[in-house]
Amino acid sequence: MQDFIDLLNKVTPDLLRGTVVTLQIATISLVLGMIVGLPVGIGRVYGPVWLQRVLGAYVTLFQGTPLLIQLFMVYYGLPDIGITLGRLQAAFLTLGLNSAAYQAEYLRSALQAVSEGQMTAARAIGMSKWQAIQSVILPQAVRLALPAWSNEAVAMLKYTSVVFLIAVPDLMGQAKILASRYFAPIQIYLIVAVFYIALVGVAYLILTLIERRARIPGLTGDTT
Amino acid sequence: MTSPILRIEDVHKSYGSLHVLKGVSLTVQPREVVVLVGPSGSGKSTLLRCINLLNPPTKGRIWLEDQEITAPGVNQDRVRQRIGMVFQEFNLFTHLTALGNVMIGLIKVRKMRKNEARDLAMFELERVGLADRAHYYPAQLSGGQKQRVAIARALGMDPHVMLFDEPTSALDPELTGEVLAVMQKLAGEGMTMIVVSHEMGFARQVANRVVFMEGGVVVEEGTPQHMFEQPTHERTRAFLRNIMQ
Amino acid sequence: MMGLFQDLLTTFNFIVQGLWVTISVTAVALTVGFTIGVVMAIARVYGHPALQTAVSAYSVVIRAVPVIVIIFILFFVISRYVNLSPFWAGALALGFASGAYQTEIFRGAIQAVQSGQMIAARAIGMSRLQAIQSIVLPQALRLALPAWGNEATLVLKDSTLVFAVGVPEILRRAQQVSARTFEPFLAFGVALLLYLALTLITTQALQWIERRYRLQV
Repeated sequence: MQDFIDLLNKVTPDLLRGTVVTLQIATISLVLGMIVGLPVGIGRVYGPVWLQRVLGAYVTLFQGTPLLIQLFMVYYGLPDIGITLGRLQAAFLTLGLNSAAYQAEYLRSALQAVSEGQMTAARAIGMSKWQAIQSVILPQAVRLALPAWSNEAVAMLKYTSVVFLIAVPDLMGQAKILASRYFAPIQIYLIVAVFYIALVGVAYLILTLIERRARIPGLTGDTT
Repeated sequence: MTSPILRIEDVHKSYGSLHVLKGVSLTVQPREVVVLVGPSGSGKSTLLRCINLLNPPTKGRIWLEDQEITAPGVNQDRVRQRIGMVFQEFNLFTHLTALGNVMIGLIKVRKMRKNEARDLAMFELERVGLADRAHYYPAQLSGGQKQRVAIARALGMDPHVMLFDEPTSALDPELTGEVLAVMQKLAGEGMTMIVVSHEMGFARQVANRVVFMEGGVVVEEGTPQHMFEQPTHERTRAFLRNIMQ
Repeated sequence: MMGLFQDLLTTFNFIVQGLWVTISVTAVALTVGFTIGVVMAIARVYGHPALQTAVSAYSVVIRAVPVIVIIFILFFVISRYVNLSPFWAGALALGFASGAYQTEIFRGAIQAVQSGQMIAARAIGMSRLQAIQSIVLPQALRLALPAWGNEATLVLKDSTLVFAVGVPEILRRAQQVSARTFEPFLAFGVALLLYLALTLITTQALQWIERRYRLQV
C-alpha cells in the first residue's frame, strides 16, 4: 500500500500536466467541431441537392472509418501531399473534423424534428426562409440536439485518448512514459482510469446543469 | 363604392397531377367578413395558402389593394406581412413565450426596437385577453389560449386582411367559444377577414358573406340569410343540411 | 503511372491481409461483449438489489474510461497471469469494454418489453427463469437490434485500438507497409477505404437483419 502511495505521489504531477493537454484537445476539438458542424448540419437539410450529397459524403467518410486511422492519415499521410502539421495541430484537426461529422448529424435530426408548421408560421408573418431558420428553427433544433451534444462532449474526453499514439503528451501519453519508467503499467493505467472517470464525471455534471438551465417546457430532446 | 381590398381572378392550383383549385374568383371589400364553407378537400385551405403566397397559385392573378401580388418580382415576404394567417394547429413558436411569439415578428420583420416591440406585443395580448399569460410557454397554455396568442401574433404585424384556416377545429368544444369571441370582436373593429370554418353559428352571426366551395370551384355565394335559408344550388343545400345536423 | 499502380497493388495486397484479423478481433469482442451484456442486463433488471448496484457500477465505471485504457489495463493484467497472444488479449479486452455498453443496450430492451409479458408467462406456470429465457429475452433481443447494430459498427471501428498492443490488424499492416514503401498517404488511404467498405457493408447487413426480424407490436 505504501508503495502505491509513493508511486501515486511520483506520477501525479506528470499526469496532471497530461490532463491539461487532454482538456485542451477536447475543448478545441469540440469548438472546431461546432464551427464546422453547424453549417454542415444546416446545409444537409436546407442546402441544394448537390451540397447535401457532398456533405453527406463527408459525414459518411468520418463516421464510417476509425478515428485512429483518420489521425494517422492526417499526421503521417498528409505530409506526402505537402500538408505537414504538428502533433497537436493534427490532433485538433482530426478530432475536430470527426466531431463535426457527428455534431452535424445530431443537428440534422434535430432540424428535421422541428415541425413543419413552425416554418409555415414564420413565413406567414413575413419572415424570409433564412430569417425563419435563424430565429425560429435553429433555436429549437439546438435545444433538441442538446442531450445528444452533451453525450458527444463527454465522449470527446475519451476519444482524445488515442492522440498519444502520435506521441502527443496527453494523459495517456504521460501514462505510457511513466509506465515504462516505473515498470508498473497496471497501477499507472488504473490511476489514469480514475483520472478519466473524474474528468467524465465532472463534465457530465456541468452539462446536466446546462441542460437544465436551457430547458423550455414542451421542448426537450429526450426521446427515451 | 370603395375599391376591393382583395381581388382573386381565376386562380388554379395543382400539386403534380392533382388539380385542387380549378379557377376560383372572389372579391373581398374592406371590413368584410367572408366565411368559406365546403366539404374537406374542396380547396378552401389551399385557397387561403394561395392568397398569402405560402403556396402561390399555378395560374391566375391576385390583387391586394392596388398591387398584383402574383406578378413576377413581387417581394412575397412583404405581402405576407400584410396578410395575417391563423392556423388550425396554432403553430406557435415552441421555444418562445406568448410574449416572445408576438414580439419576434415585430423585431425581425418590422425591425422594431425591443422596448417598442414589447409594448406593442403586450397591447396585442391584451386585445385577445391574455396579458396575464404573457410569460407562459405554448406548452403551458390551453388550446384556446394558444389560438388567441396566434391571433395576437398575426395582429402584431398590422395586417390589412386576416385569414383563418379552421381556427377552432383542433380545439375541444368547450374552448371554441373564447376564440370565436375574439374573432367576433375583431370583425366588430372592422378587420377584413376570410374564415374557413365549420362554425355555422359564427357564420350566421358575423359573416357578411358565405362562400360555398366544392371540388375546387366556388359553387355559390351570398349573404348568410340567403345561403342558410334559400340557397339556389342543390349541392349547397345538401352540404348545409348535413353540417347543421 | 505504372509505378503508382504497382505501389497501389503492393500496398493493397499487404494491408488486405489484416482484414481477416480485424474481422476476427471484432467478432471475438462482440461475442464476449454480447455474453457479458446479456448476463449483466438480466442481473441488472431481475437480480438482487446488491447485484443490481454492482452491475450499475461496473457499467458506469467502464463507460467512463476510454476503451484504449481498458485494453492496456487488461492486456497487462492478462499477460501477467496467463500466456495469451496479443490477439486474444486485445480482443478479450475490447469485448470486456463493449460488455458495459451492451449491458445498457440489453437493459433498455428488457425494460421495454411490456410487463404484461412476464405476468402472462408466470400465469401459465413458467418459472421466473423460464419466463426470462423464453418470453422476455427473445423479444428484448429483437428490440435491441438497432442499438446493437450501432454498437457493432463502433466495436468494428474500435478494433483498430488493438493496434496499440501489436495485433497485426488493418492499421498495423498499413503502418508496416508505409514504413517500407515510404508512401504513408497511399497506405493509410487504402486502410481508410477498406474500413469504409467494411462499415458500409456491415451497416447494410445489419439493416437487412433488422427488417427481417422486426417485432410487430
